[in-house]
Amino acid sequence: MLTDSIPKALSPLNLEKVAPGEYAKTGYHLEVTAKPEQMPAVAQAMLKEGCFLESFTAVHTSREAFTLVYHFANFYELCRTAVRATLPEGAEAPTISHVFPAADWYEREVYDLFGIKFAGHPNLKRLLLPEDAEIHPLRKEFAAEGETKAEAPK
Amino acid sequence: MITSGIEEKTFVLNLGPQHPSTHGVLRVLLEMDGEYIASAEPVIGYGHRAHEHMAENRNYHQFLPNMGRVDYLHALAFNHGYCMAVEKLIGVTVPERAEFIRVITNELNRITSHLLWFGAYLMDLGAFTPFLYCFDDREHILDLLDRITGSRLTYCFFRFGGVPKDIDDDFISGVRTFIKRLRSRWVDYHNLVTKNVIFIHRAKGVGVFTKEQCQLYGITGPSLRGSGIPYDIRKSEPYSAYPLFDFEIPIGDNGDIYDRYIVRLREMEQSCRIIEQALNKLPNGPIMAEKVPKRLKPAAGEVYQAVETARGEFGTYIVSNGDIKPYRIKLRVPSFSNLSLMVESFKDNLVADVVAILGSIDVVIPEIDR
Repeated sequence: MLTDSIPKALSPLNLEKVAPGEYAKTGYHLEVTAKPEQMPAVAQAMLKEGCFLESFTAVHTSREAFTLVYHFANFYELCRTAVRATLPEGAEAPTISHVFPAADWYEREVYDLFGIKFAGHPNLKRLLLPEDAEIHPLRKEFAAEGETKAEAPK
Repeated sequence: MITSGIEEKTFVLNLGPQHPSTHGVLRVLLEMDGEYIASAEPVIGYGHRAHEHMAENRNYHQFLPNMGRVDYLHALAFNHGYCMAVEKLIGVTVPERAEFIRVITNELNRITSHLLWFGAYLMDLGAFTPFLYCFDDREHILDLLDRITGSRLTYCFFRFGGVPKDIDDDFISGVRTFIKRLRSRWVDYHNLVTKNVIFIHRAKGVGVFTKEQCQLYGITGPSLRGSGIPYDIRKSEPYSAYPLFDFEIPIGDNGDIYDRYIVRLREMEQSCRIIEQALNKLPNGPIMAEKVPKRLKPAAGEVYQAVETARGEFGTYIVSNGDIKPYRIKLRVPSFSNLSLMVESFKDNLVADVVAILGSIDVVIPEIDR
């Protein structure tokens, strides 16, 4: 059972939280909280457990910080793990693209839309917007022309 | 665009963005070593419409029509994924009849998507006739879906809590007739294409995805199942009415173009089986849940919901902060990961195979660009 073996594999990393999730409510079997600098080690452990990187994104949670959200799933057994890491504004997160090449594009997308930089990424440049764009449209303070300005997070 | 590592013996060949076989506006920079590809770099984003940003500026209902525009070929699966995520967030249960209608329309839509892929892909490879055959078949489904959903391509048919319109006897008999017709066409399809020696030579052993690559790149959908991993959300993480039906997950052995082709063809047959069972067991009852609030204000929290589209796993990740607008919506789209592996599989292939490999993973570019 992955719901047992993943917490066991993550336990040497001394993460802030590794807890079972409420699957019926959220779709997660496991919820993990880690520091951004622990993510390469977490990704290594998930890879060894046979999981794949299902999705990766960021949420502009407050004026001072972003939450990086990694979703891992498995092809053979139903077990979705959500790993969250809080990244202070202006800080760099380490890349996990050397562990999961899938993260290469996801990290470029997050850099493009949020302006978060990933240390060690081999090719960190914009993915969806033009190269000379000067905006990061998923930051809460961004508003497109004609839009009412979104409220800045508290 | 390619900034480093170019040796003088290679040159860069530009493919797209306006090219009939890139299925949308995809540009690929191919670094060529003679006839062989040394490296490839896709340039995406030409169709970026900022759906995720739009989501933060409108309420949950208003974002619903956007879903049909993310992946226009299997719009109903995207409707389904988003509706289920919001239903989970507000705790609404969908009536059984509505679930059945969702499954029936969804699978019909999956067949249209696979049929379009089948025709367009073979046209990429130089075969013109199958395109006409399958557009003829596809037209029947579009007419059927048009009658109940009101649109032919960018459907917005599901609502939070059910579906807005019931299906009638004409629709049911129309679907039955269509399935009968489609089954009689398999013979033609297999005779025309599957046994065609030119096609076999182009498809066997080309563009192989290994199981390890699939795990590293997060590949889903027929491209993954062609490599022999039976991962289909409809079975792996059952949702809606799918657990009630008996169907198989077709898989391939080698992970080459031929296997992905066979998987898609066999999937259409499985979709027919699901639709038939759903029509036979169709329960009576309401098609909308009671008491779905007109103005949604879900409690703070987050939810992840995955569904199986024609191209793989579509995940909706919603973060709510208790407001009437979503705080953040992330759309995990299948072609995004699938395309990033394609770059790897281009390497050391002939330039003539680029179009064959690109088409075989069935990319829908607006879905990647969002």
